[in-house]
Amino acid sequence: MTISSVSQMTPTQVVNETNKLKTTPYEAQQSFANSLKEAISKVNDQQITSDNLTQKLINGGDVELHEVMIASQKASITLNATIEVRNKVIEAYQEIMRMSV
Amino acid sequence: MSIFHGMNTTASALTAQRLRMDVISSNMAGMDTTRAKQVNGQWEPYRRKTVTFTAQEGQFSKFFNAALGKNAKSGVGNGVKVTQIKEDTETPFKLVYDPTHPDANADGYVNMPNVDPLKEMVDLMSATRSYEANVTVLNANKSMLTKALEIGR
Repeated sequence: MTISSVSQMTPTQVVNETNKLKTTPYEAQQSFANSLKEAISKVNDQQITSDNLTQKLINGGDVELHEVMIASQKASITLNATIEVRNKVIEAYQEIMRMSV
Repeated sequence: MSIFHGMNTTASALTAQRLRMDVISSNMAGMDTTRAKQVNGQWEPYRRKTVTFTAQEGQFSKFFNAALGKNAKSGVGNGVKVTQIKEDTETPFKLVYDPTHPDANADGYVNMPNVDPLKEMVDLMSATRSYEANVTVLNANKSMLTKALEIGR
């Protein structure tokens, strides 16, 4: 591996790199909203799975009892995790709002 | 490797033990069945069934990540599955002397199923204990995850 000399890195190249890294506040907001939406939809998927399995069991379908129980526990854990994340986010927001200007 | 990997492994074990329990129920129920199925026009008595377990293979993505050197936890197992429900052809049928039975052969002997109730009861206890142990593991797994959510509360 040959090490390139420092003179090859021109100042214009360095400036172009930093321009690419800058994201607008709108983009940052969108990515946060999207990741939040994804997390909530995953929680919803778990709840829906648990609901469907319980329905199948009630209707006498071909589903194992322990699968229903495990699905409901997984949904409960995912929900609790999301609630904790929400608590932390709100706590951080309130911390920032408490800062005197 | 998700946080639910341990729970999925235990779920597969519970399913396998449940299936084993169903096979034991079938064996106990068919203990006196002299006419189970027709073979060459002759009625054959019920044959005892056995299950064989094998370790479940991981998904392809796990092997791929392990080959790339990414996943440190690729050595953890993936659970168990039932490969086959085999009929026990090695144990011979029990011969019981009963000339009045409709299925008695020329010498007055009846072929009874090769199901030993003692063996089935031991299998039943083993399957039950295994099921309970797996449920305990599942509960411990869940309580660990719940405890982890209490960090920083």
